[in-house]
Amino acid sequence: MNTDAPRLRPPNHRVDRRAVWWWTTRSLAVTVVLTVVPVVPALIWEPVRPWFLIAAGILGGVGLLITVAMPQWRFRVHRWEITDTAVYTSSGWLWQEWRVAPMSRIQTVDTARGPLQRVFGLSSVTVTTASAAGPIEISGLDHTLATEVADQLTDSTEAIPGDAT
Amino acid sequence: MTSHDDHHPDGEQHDEEQHEGEQHGELPQGQSREPGQDQGEEVRWEGLSTLSVWASTVVVALFMVPAAIVGTVVLFVVDVSNLWALLPLPATLAFIALMTYLDLLRLRATRYRVTPERMEMRSGIIAKAYRSIPRERVRSVDVAAPIYVRIFGLCSVTVGTGESAGAGGTDQLQLLYVTAGQGERLRRELLRRAAPATGSPDGGEGTGEEEAEDDGTELVRLNPRWFAYAPATTATFGVGLGVIAALVGLNAQTGGHGWQWISEQAGLPSAQEMSSFVMGRLLVVLPVTLLGLLLSGVVVLVATAVETWWDYRLLREQDGTVRLRRGLLTSVSLSVEGRRLNGVVLHEPFVLRSVGGASIRAVATGLSAGDAQKTEAKSRLSPAMPVRRARELGAALMREPDSALDVPLARHPKAALRRRFTRAALGSVAVLALAGVLAWAQQLATESWWNVLQETEAEFMPVPLISPSAEAAPGWGWIAVALLGVVVAFWYAVGSYRGLAHGLHPRYLVVRKGMAVRDTVTLERSSVIGWRVTRSPFQRRLGLADVSATTASGEGLYTAQDVGLGQGLAWADEAVPELLAPFLVRDQGSSEPERPSALP
Repeated sequence: MNTDAPRLRPPNHRVDRRAVWWWTTRSLAVTVVLTVVPVVPALIWEPVRPWFLIAAGILGGVGLLITVAMPQWRFRVHRWEITDTAVYTSSGWLWQEWRVAPMSRIQTVDTARGPLQRVFGLSSVTVTTASAAGPIEISGLDHTLATEVADQLTDSTEAIPGDAT
Repeated sequence: MTSHDDHHPDGEQHDEEQHEGEQHGELPQGQSREPGQDQGEEVRWEGLSTLSVWASTVVVALFMVPAAIVGTVVLFVVDVSNLWALLPLPATLAFIALMTYLDLLRLRATRYRVTPERMEMRSGIIAKAYRSIPRERVRSVDVAAPIYVRIFGLCSVTVGTGESAGAGGTDQLQLLYVTAGQGERLRRELLRRAAPATGSPDGGEGTGEEEAEDDGTELVRLNPRWFAYAPATTATFGVGLGVIAALVGLNAQTGGHGWQWISEQAGLPSAQEMSSFVMGRLLVVLPVTLLGLLLSGVVVLVATAVETWWDYRLLREQDGTVRLRRGLLTSVSLSVEGRRLNGVVLHEPFVLRSVGGASIRAVATGLSAGDAQKTEAKSRLSPAMPVRRARELGAALMREPDSALDVPLARHPKAALRRRFTRAALGSVAVLALAGVLAWAQQLATESWWNVLQETEAEFMPVPLISPSAEAAPGWGWIAVALLGVVVAFWYAVGSYRGLAHGLHPRYLVVRKGMAVRDTVTLERSSVIGWRVTRSPFQRRLGLADVSATTASGEGLYTAQDVGLGQGLAWADEAVPELLAPFLVRDQGSSEPERPSALP
């Protein structure tokens, strides 16, 4: 292959360090729920108890493994950057995604914070374009920073005329 | 009219609040605030046609009144002195009258008008709703007239705005129903910005159709020979099988008595006799059955194609609007604003491709219709036709001397083939394992097992054939079928690798993919509103990526699948200069000068 084949450079900014704890908590919550679900019939129903306990064990084990590995991995991947002309993000862990949207095609900018994000003082910035590909989301930003980013994006997009399609 | 590349209607300064122009909401009763009334001249509000209400009244009456009369007669026959028997008829009439009245109220409350700036609609009796769409945001106008509406001279009008529909998913405004004249006038006016509504609300009745015939250049018109391509789908056998499955299902619902009754009436031999008769002459019966399936499928599919594509014409009107007309029972007229047609899809399903056919679909803004399936149906711009003709049509739609469908396409790396081989190998292992298990089960099966199977089958199949043929099949048959499956899997893998390609035209980018359905998509480079690159762990190991252009048109995301990462990024960078460039680095150290980030 060409030696001068282009690569994507990682976006400039990492998300907030506290996002690791947010992802850990979220993953742990899902793991606990999924593990408890097969435990309930195991307690009630004697004959199938070993099978359900094995299922619970596997689910719990895999869940814990993900809980340990995923947040650190995500923290290495999740990055964002806003230039004068575009929004650039990367996200994911096993399956990774890079998104670029030009400033001129941005339709709306929102910030949102779920209950769990609020516990850690985090917010997400959602940038919507006219595409059906779904919005670009920068999650796990410090709340004040997220508000600043959203304000700045709103100002930049307002300056550009057109109906963003 | 405006140039093709111009995506920003002049003089329109939109601020960030994109939805400002469009208001949904409830107005307090009695208070009729009418935004958009800023022009001095008042444009009259128009109503829907009341004819549709009377039509549905007639249809309902045709069914219900005879039923009521029959009811009365039956009740009298049972008991002459029963005066309740007189009730059904007046009750039915009262019911119909009430329904008609409510329908009329609803209809009266729905009013629309087209001012020079916007299209407005008011509706609702109790909860009043007002909706307004700026005319410059109208992307497509769809006029449909199903047969039961057309005989009353009516049609429905659907106006698409191309907003990425949020909650509720209504980016459309629909009028059910207006007269054909009104529909035609709306179609012509709404997409014509230069010459706004002249506002003669009840003129144009009946004259529209004939006039519209010659204002524009015809891109293509139906050639009845193309109907020969209609049965060239994998569904041809499926349709026939579907008919048989439906019959079997019906028989099962009657508990098998349906077939019993028929065979007794017709004096047919018993199921066992027929079954053994068929099993004895498998070589004759099998081809005849297949032929029957094929024929019924062909008939159904050709009939469907004739219904859908009868009188098919595609015009480009003087203002650049592309207009599609088609349909036998439901006549459809769809207009797409020229500059909103951002590309075409050359659609080649496998069977159609192997007989040299293809069809053309639109990649356009404002054709979305709720769900993906409806959107897909709405974007079809041509029936199945010879592939050469389809390519010509594509070129004509893109208005380019050298068609974007003909640019040389780049192949994807061999690693993409390896991925497909891996998938085929996994599939093969699964199929072989299944075959092994089945062959083993057949070895184990005793006479009593087969009896149980046959009895089960006899429950719902009038002539049990499946279990006897399974019993008669030799043990190596399973393996032979599985081996055939393996061959097909690898052949499919090669085919789908060959389908992968991407390219660039001066104005369009081109991506191709697919084996079962091969789609070659051209998308105007100026309509790309972002990029998405995704990589799975497997793709990262092989140096591959999915590089997708996001756009407001069509499906919203067009992907070069399993492209080499460097190759795909270089392509994306060239397709839309300056968008991706700041974020790319070249391996040779000559990295782009990084732009300063706007944020600390």
